Amino acid sequence: MNNDFKELRLDGVTRRFNAGGKASFNAVSGLTLTIKQGEFIALLGPSGCGKSTALNLIAGLLPLSEGGIWLDDERIDALPPEKRGFGMVFQNYALFPHMSVMRNIDFGLRMRRTPAAEIATRVANVLKLVQLVGQENKLPGQLSGGQQQRVAIARAIVIEPPLVLMDEPLSNLDAKLRLETRSEIRRIHRELGSTTIYVTHDQEEAMSLADRILVMIDGVVQQIATPEEIYSQPANLAVASFMGYRNMLELAVERQDGERVTLAGPDVRITGTRKLPLTNGHACIAMRPEEMVVGDGPDGANTFSVHIDGVEYCGRDSLLDVTTGAGFRMHVRTNQRFAAGETVRVHVPVERVLVYPPA
Amino acid sequence: MAIPIQRVTFDRTLLLVMPAALFMMLLFIYPFLYGLLLSLNPPEGDWLDNYQKFFTTDNLWPTIWTTLRLAVPVTLINVGLALPIAFKMRVHTRYQRWITTILVVPVSLGTVLIAEGMLTYFGPKGWLVQTIQFLHLYEGSIRLTHNFWGVLISLVISGFPFCFLLILSYITGIDPALARAAATLGAGRADQFRQIYLPLLAPGLAICFCLAFVQSFSVFPSAVLLGAPAGPTRVISIAAYEAAFEQYDYSLASAIAMIMGFVQLLIVAAVLGLRNLFYRGPAMGGKG
Repeated sequence: MNNDFKELRLDGVTRRFNAGGKASFNAVSGLTLTIKQGEFIALLGPSGCGKSTALNLIAGLLPLSEGGIWLDDERIDALPPEKRGFGMVFQNYALFPHMSVMRNIDFGLRMRRTPAAEIATRVANVLKLVQLVGQENKLPGQLSGGQQQRVAIARAIVIEPPLVLMDEPLSNLDAKLRLETRSEIRRIHRELGSTTIYVTHDQEEAMSLADRILVMIDGVVQQIATPEEIYSQPANLAVASFMGYRNMLELAVERQDGERVTLAGPDVRITGTRKLPLTNGHACIAMRPEEMVVGDGPDGANTFSVHIDGVEYCGRDSLLDVTTGAGFRMHVRTNQRFAAGETVRVHVPVERVLVYPPA
Repeated sequence: MAIPIQRVTFDRTLLLVMPAALFMMLLFIYPFLYGLLLSLNPPEGDWLDNYQKFFTTDNLWPTIWTTLRLAVPVTLINVGLALPIAFKMRVHTRYQRWITTILVVPVSLGTVLIAEGMLTYFGPKGWLVQTIQFLHLYEGSIRLTHNFWGVLISLVISGFPFCFLLILSYITGIDPALARAAATLGAGRADQFRQIYLPLLAPGLAICFCLAFVQSFSVFPSAVLLGAPAGPTRVISIAAYEAAFEQYDYSLASAIAMIMGFVQLLIVAAVLGLRNLFYRGPAMGGKG
């Protein structure tokens, strides 16, 4: 397997599973993506969306039902995992419990019949990189979760694979360690320049690490874009919902003026930006709680009164559970202090209201 | 504020062990001690006379070798056959349940029933020999009953399911992600087995070997029914039986039983000693 390739191409990658009897469902359907060398791609989606299946398909741990995987001009989807030579970091680490840290890390090199002297230098280098010098002779069971995770990363990158696959590598770590290991992963990726596909359900993790994010829901790719674009311009209602646009209202369309759409309900009138063509007279708006502002908007635009039902204290700010007079439930994030039972005026900037066809 | 010092006190839940301990005392330790004392009290002569007699009588001491010659190959065959089959059966397939059921059925048959069946099917006029001769696969005379081979086959039939089930449960306890991880690191099937499964299975194989060995070392009914109890399959339990129920020398019979137990203990201790050379911990690769 050559290390300097130009791109990895997934072409209509599909995986079907039997769902009992003759029924089947697509865990991954029609995944098409081109990854350039050195890129960091995050596969983001809710649990059960097929992102781990996609990773296993790329690694060769599952056969494809349809489609192809190409490394430059070489088709690799029929190769077994040991012939693809991609490094993989498993969710539960999958360290060999009977081998020392050293033996775990040099396993891939031993399988490649690398000369002993080269193994020694490469393992020494990677131990330094993941900061595990001095732990070589311990068994995985004697390490902490964070150290185990770093052994798993070291084991995958020491073989200098063309592609590193990571399957929710941080999900078993506590919050502090997760942040630290996240920075480690970013540092290692920067130092080695290795092409990485990283599976996660955590949008913050995906945004902080990836060059590009692929959002997958129910086995179908919803959007492939930069973190910034995914965050501020979700391609559809499902992505918006997953990316934290918690306030969703279905309203009647009152006026359309190019991309600008005004929708009206019994006691709200909201103008937003249309993301997809609208067909029938209804549309769904999506707004983030943190982009709602307490107080009247300029010229009273997009402003309405809400009743505070509950206050969730979050430290730096609070999350208000509110309802409009007609009973629309919404969430507003604010750093002002309010108490349940109060009535306040809130508004939301026109460009931060996204309008989609109803689901 | 002073922190109260926690003292280690007697944990009364330990008392729950009592019924089992009592049971062991009554059913194992008491008969064992009774037999030991009986063996050291021959009707006439010195306290070690029975043991002296065993190791100097020509139809007694060779029974140790006769039994070992049967039990060791049987155990190796059972463990050796069960390991690859159980390894194949570790992944769920459509046929797994059927194959497992078929393989395990003999465990429900008694040794006598197996012997009865074998006498019919493997005997000189049984269908197996007749088929082989009909197809001219082997022209010489075939004898699979009333000799060493008859006992060996019957011990494999009755012992295999036991080894298979035991090893299957050990194999399914190994996290399949470990083999997948090995595969992504370049290990083919053979290396996955050699580097991952075998070392993690070794302690379980040792236990399986011990249990299967003890089971076949104490063979009795099939050695009588399917073997040649006067010669090649005169195993140690037959010697003990003859002493007890033909010569009515309970004291000598007890001594033979003690020697039998000692040989078993020796082999088991040796195998378990080897087992300590291997990793013995959870076969999982990290946090579950």
